[in-house]
Amino acid sequence: MSAVSIRNVSKAFNEGKSNQVDALREVSLDVEPGEFISLIGPSGCGKSTLLRLIANLLEPTAGEVAVNGKSATQARLDQDYGMAFQQAGLFDWRTVRKNIELPLELKGWDKSARRARAEEMLQLVQLPEFADHYPWQLSGGMQQRIAIARALAAHPPLLLMDEPFGALDEMTREYMQGELLRICAATGTTVVFVTHSIPEAVYLSNRVVVMSPRPGRITKIVEVSLGAERTEDTRNRTPFFEAITAVREGLRGMHAAHVGLGNDDR
Amino acid sequence: MTSLLRRAAYRTFMFVAALALVVVIWEVYKAFGPVDGGKLFGARVLPRTSDYAMPHVADMFSRFNRPEVRGSDRTVFSAVLAGAWFSFRLSVVGFVIGGTLGIALAVLMARFRWVQRGVLPYLVVSQTVPLIALAPLVVSWGGKVEIGPFVWPRWLSAAVLGAFLAFFPIAVGTLRGLAAASASSVELMQSYAASWTKTLFKLRFPTAVPYMTPAFRLGASASVIGVVVAEISTGLKGGIGRLIIEYAREATGDPAKVYTAIFGAAALGLTMAGVVIAADVFVMRNRPKENIL
Repeated sequence: MSAVSIRNVSKAFNEGKSNQVDALREVSLDVEPGEFISLIGPSGCGKSTLLRLIANLLEPTAGEVAVNGKSATQARLDQDYGMAFQQAGLFDWRTVRKNIELPLELKGWDKSARRARAEEMLQLVQLPEFADHYPWQLSGGMQQRIAIARALAAHPPLLLMDEPFGALDEMTREYMQGELLRICAATGTTVVFVTHSIPEAVYLSNRVVVMSPRPGRITKIVEVSLGAERTEDTRNRTPFFEAITAVREGLRGMHAAHVGLGNDDR
Repeated sequence: MTSLLRRAAYRTFMFVAALALVVVIWEVYKAFGPVDGGKLFGARVLPRTSDYAMPHVADMFSRFNRPEVRGSDRTVFSAVLAGAWFSFRLSVVGFVIGGTLGIALAVLMARFRWVQRGVLPYLVVSQTVPLIALAPLVVSWGGKVEIGPFVWPRWLSAAVLGAFLAFFPIAVGTLRGLAAASASSVELMQSYAASWTKTLFKLRFPTAVPYMTPAFRLGASASVIGVVVAEISTGLKGGIGRLIIEYAREATGDPAKVYTAIFGAAALGLTMAGVVIAADVFVMRNRPKENIL
């Protein structure tokens, strides 16, 4: 059973009106359990829309989205996924611990169970000493780690991330990528990850899904064979650069098609 | 913490300094201004400086210690204090009614767009109705209210008029606050399959707090104004508003007396604002400092 199964999904905004926008057209994609998938593409290619369709924050105009073998709606009601955004989006008025407990609170967990799980998640993201801090007292990278802890607090099998490291500086960003891989390996979580950054997508993913705009569609899927174990050294190895080149070609091919140039302008 | 204390000390100092400045300007003008006031094309644009028109500040304060009427053992101070306390309680009742109504309206408007479209313009219009015109109406409506053992007390009309002024800033501020939750935090709550009510209490109200506290400050002082004006225009006995008109009638013989009542009203407003600010500081103590409006 696929972790995520997307079948011929289209999404149009303002459907039937003069300002109709085809955010996605006829997209199909399967994500295997435990897989790390990145969606990459220029603005307007529908990658965030696709993520929101999986999250059931949007309904597709046509086609079907299944998560964990259930309809996307049912999966959302069952909280089968956790979500993280570019803005960590922690609640200012709650302590770090209380932020992590939020999804558990909404699921109706009792206090001691919530507390124990929050403690476990704080260990997982290696910030146990910040339990009683308020989010605005933490750095951006720490806030994002807390947001990941919150997203994974209910132990969902799937993690959806919308440019979670987009607002971080480059060094923090690379550190966070390593942390994310470590956390996902520890928990066996499937990840769908939206990003603008080619190295980030390649470093993290088993497969990189390259998308193109107007209408949003998948143009290429790049398999990344860097093995399960990825370290800082991975970034210096040839397969890493080969995968980056493959993704870049996927993106550039579509760019060339757009501006009416051939592929021979490299 | 020390910087907070320093800021508090600085603010207190500035407050006292501003008051002292007003006193100095008053006394300097009284000493050197034209005795008969300044006239421009026959209209008096500057006040006279006689003791009747401008009593000494010291006289105003010493008036507090003397009997309210000749031969009485009740000082003006205790009369003003009693009046201010009476009006304070009415203002609190008005503030609570207005606050409850304002928040309830804001929640309804945030929940249902059609309520917002239908109601908001009327809320704005309601604030253009002069309170003086409304006061006798509310009193006469109140006089007709009798539900079982509940008989509308006269003072409740004044509190309702306080509420009438207080609810508006609270409704508008709360509405703005409820709408201030970021799109991604709303999506986050959706992703947790949280109901509208859960989202309201876990996300929207906490987000609204920094918008609600300044609205409450406005509402608190509006409630005081509403109560005092209602007391004056309906002649309700016992409050500071009534004292102001009573003492003003004696202004020709006892010009300093009316100022004691005015100080009482000012102290009342400051106390009300102080209570709300203290509550504000308390609820905002764990928020990022730049969010404090």
